[in-house]
Amino acid sequence: MTQDGKYTEIGNSLPRVDGKAKVTGAAKYAGDYYFPRELWAQVVRSPYPHAKIKKIDTSAAEKLKGVRNVITGDYYKKRGGLYLADKNFLAYQTVKYRGEAVVAVCAETREIAEEACRLVKIDYEELPAVFSPMEAMKKGAPLIHPDLHTYRVAPIFHPVPHTNISHHHVLRKGDVKKGFRESYRIFEHSYHIPHVQHVPIETHVTTALYDTAGSLTVWSCCQSPYAVRAALADSFDIPLNKLRVISEFVGAGFGSKAGTTIEGIVIPLAQLNPGRHIRLDYSREDEFENAYVRQGMYARIKTGVDKKGKILAVENEFLWDGGAYTEYGVNIVKAAGFAGAGPYNIDNIATDSYCLYTNHPVGGPYRGFGMCEIHFAIEQNIDMIAKEMGISPVEMRKINGLRPGDTTNTGEVMKVSGYQDCLDTVIKALDYNRKSAQPKDKHKIRAKGIAAGWKSPSQPTDAASAAIIRMNEDGTFYLQTSAEEIGQGSNTVLTQIAAEVLNVNPDRITLTSGDTTANPYEWQTVASRTTYCAGNAVKLAAEDLKEHVLDLAQIKLGCAKRDIHLERDDDHHMTWVVATNHPENRVPISTFALGLTLPDGSGIGGPAIGTGRFVLPNNFAYNMEDSQSPKPVAFWTIGVTGAEVEVDTQTGHIKVLQMISCFDPGKTVNRALYDAQVEGGMIQAMGTAIFEELMLKDGRVLNKNFVDYKIPTADDIPERLESLIVEYPEETGPFGARGIGEPVMVPGAPAIANAVANALGHHFDHMPITPDDVLEVVRGKKSKSKAKR
Amino acid sequence: MKEITYIAPESISEALKLLTKHKGKAVIFNGGTDVMIRLRENLIQPDYVIDIKRIPGLKEITFKKDGLHVGCCATMNEIAEHADVRKYYPYYAKACASVGSKQVRNRATCIGNIVNASPLADSATPLYAMDAVLLIEGPEGKREVPVREFITFVRKTVLAEDEIVLGVRVPYIKGAKGVYTKNSRRKEVDLSNVCATVVRTGDEYRIAFGSVAPTPKRLEKTEKLLNGKKITPALIEKAKQTAVTEVAPIDDVRASKVYRLDIVQAIVENSLLALGR
Repeated sequence: MTQDGKYTEIGNSLPRVDGKAKVTGAAKYAGDYYFPRELWAQVVRSPYPHAKIKKIDTSAAEKLKGVRNVITGDYYKKRGGLYLADKNFLAYQTVKYRGEAVVAVCAETREIAEEACRLVKIDYEELPAVFSPMEAMKKGAPLIHPDLHTYRVAPIFHPVPHTNISHHHVLRKGDVKKGFRESYRIFEHSYHIPHVQHVPIETHVTTALYDTAGSLTVWSCCQSPYAVRAALADSFDIPLNKLRVISEFVGAGFGSKAGTTIEGIVIPLAQLNPGRHIRLDYSREDEFENAYVRQGMYARIKTGVDKKGKILAVENEFLWDGGAYTEYGVNIVKAAGFAGAGPYNIDNIATDSYCLYTNHPVGGPYRGFGMCEIHFAIEQNIDMIAKEMGISPVEMRKINGLRPGDTTNTGEVMKVSGYQDCLDTVIKALDYNRKSAQPKDKHKIRAKGIAAGWKSPSQPTDAASAAIIRMNEDGTFYLQTSAEEIGQGSNTVLTQIAAEVLNVNPDRITLTSGDTTANPYEWQTVASRTTYCAGNAVKLAAEDLKEHVLDLAQIKLGCAKRDIHLERDDDHHMTWVVATNHPENRVPISTFALGLTLPDGSGIGGPAIGTGRFVLPNNFAYNMEDSQSPKPVAFWTIGVTGAEVEVDTQTGHIKVLQMISCFDPGKTVNRALYDAQVEGGMIQAMGTAIFEELMLKDGRVLNKNFVDYKIPTADDIPERLESLIVEYPEETGPFGARGIGEPVMVPGAPAIANAVANALGHHFDHMPITPDDVLEVVRGKKSKSKAKR
Repeated sequence: MKEITYIAPESISEALKLLTKHKGKAVIFNGGTDVMIRLRENLIQPDYVIDIKRIPGLKEITFKKDGLHVGCCATMNEIAEHADVRKYYPYYAKACASVGSKQVRNRATCIGNIVNASPLADSATPLYAMDAVLLIEGPEGKREVPVREFITFVRKTVLAEDEIVLGVRVPYIKGAKGVYTKNSRRKEVDLSNVCATVVRTGDEYRIAFGSVAPTPKRLEKTEKLLNGKKITPALIEKAKQTAVTEVAPIDDVRASKVYRLDIVQAIVENSLLALGR
């Protein structure tokens, strides 16, 4: 900050600090590490969605030349998991989804390992399987985890013993019965959201080395090295000081690399082969089937409104298809339970969010953490009610959208809420109230739609972050964090925050992350929490170092530290420590890098190092019975997206012509990165709205390739993409910032769905909305409901 | 693990000898864009791949009075960008340009697309419409097979294991105008869920559809209905109704049968309108 109070870095569009390394290939990803005498792991996978493993014959595989080890689930029986310990790295006794890892092979080459996998003989006895959350809920449904009641679980989750329900999240606010009694009209709508895949460019890859001195190093493409370290240490009983996780850059995560994924398979193999590196690579087919998927979900919303359209009561139920293991999925179900009625001021809410085991691929975090799914329901529901009430969707949102002073679903009073401003901004930019100009082609209809969304970080109320900043002898810095650069731009934003505090040019700061040995603790790089949590830790570390410098500067400059400031001098590539009242009295900041040398030759202070420790200061556990708490989450990020579509009634194709979003990031740290996040979020949302679906039949993924799993290409991107901002500072955020990475995707899909509905006069109860669906409506039939239970 | 021997013959006769020698164990490798996928998915397990790309003369595209000759190693992009193809067969150029991605089209060949015999082969319907003829050479010499007789079923052709398709001859019909249409979920990097070529010469029509039957297909009844008549809205309607009786699409992950039938009608209508009354 300058002397007249202006930011020097915050709000700038600083080019990515990792840009050059990534463009030139200098940046190293987990898959870039190859080691001498590396061994390769491969996995035998289950051909059945649910089966008992009767016998495994590994003898032929073991005899193959070049095979080092063949292990099964018997080798390592301990179950692990982030929130619910329900998962074995290799299936033990039963397989629970098609594609589950059953046997792991370690060999001298990848080809030998693959050949050995083909030689393993496994006898299965098929078990009745469950392929929908409704089936899973039924009394007498086959139990996928019969021993659920014995599993270790974080105390905020409620598995229901002897059922397939791994978490039942309950939210109760006010009195819904009374709310419905007082309602003028009551509406009920149902929706279905299919499984989707993250499709990161970088498929999962990991290498592990158990060195001959007894330490384990894992090179992993993970979003959260510390969480991976904790999970692996717990699973394999390794002390944390003997376990190092390295993950410098990640080739996109979107949640798929949030927890421990494939690391657990290679560690036992590494322990069997001390001194040798063991590598496991996922193919694209593996990625589709065996990495996390976004859970499928069925939603039912009952809404009571008064004559003017004010929502008096919401009763909703979410049934999540959690897949074979829900160690991470339970938390998504909780997040949905927290936010289930949306960013609206509603006095009476009853939400039941259920996580169900099925014999489907394993559900896990995906950008939005449940919010994209529930908002597809919530925001279409708002439009549908508005239409049935004869009021505009804008008016409906103006009446109900959160304002400062309103209370959230969980009973928290909103100190700030940008909802109404974001709405106004998008309505204006999209010119929503003016009907779309229709093209000459009689088969094409254009229309606009809007949707709002909100999201809070789903993290423990005491999630912690740390940062260290060190000054080098020349006045440059090393900034150490364990926030993970997964493409979102955290290295750049964190560098800007430190540069702002210290008044140094960001190119004087090098950020290091992604190594648990070298860098301090960070809970996880998830939940759109990095700018806020890691940002706070970095700010505190930089302030700590600044204090140290100012302490010594008092001696050097002979004045009190209240009268000393740091001044950035880009012309000379340096920063000065300046006596404010006598600006000619100044020294380079590097003067204090190793402490201060006094006139008598003695030293004082020592090397300049700042530490920052941040833990959520004011988040309180919620009441388990009703999810109410004065402040259960760090912040809510709110925004609105508008879309204009062109629907071709002859071919059923939906072309998205424009998308405009406005969010409230509190304070934008980097405008270019904000825009990139918003644009990426809108495109990803568009993908799920009109293209993406993991097609499952009897537990089999029918489209595990890019031919049939469609994501948007550059050619599908709308002609106009615009990202706008309103800023209401976050009280506890660094410079007022709050997270935006995930929230910006949330309203995109329902905005498109609402636009399509405005074009066709029909709301689809599912996504993606395919050309098939559109033509069904054009033919005059009601579209097939996919939300039916 | 399976080892595959790669051989790159430098003449047609050498290639034919290799095919005879390794009959049943070899696969011809041209652009490789289908072979690589089939290898990866374990659908084929050849002992030998015989790469014909180094044989001189097989990339040629020439246009003479009797028609267009496209060599078997000419890539989709080379065909799509060829001046004579663009001038005399613009719908064929468009079909080739609609295959996969730019990168795929830099390797993939039209002949490979035909030999692969997928019902939805993008470059097949223009050849069907024009009654193109494939030029084949085998141990017993050369033979010519009309493309419509070449593909017999899904991924089945009359090509013997020791034969090579050297190219295709597309007849030239003076005054022929054509329209190629590809309907797919995405505009780029996608497969057709229905594709078609409609060619008009005076009052004569040729209509070929892909992805609506086990092989690409000419709609002969519809053609007959239209031939010699003036295009009117009523006739278009009749043509649409006739067209759907001639195709037998399936439900799959890419589209439903009813959807494909709708698209068939839309393409018939749009193509006839585009070709003028």
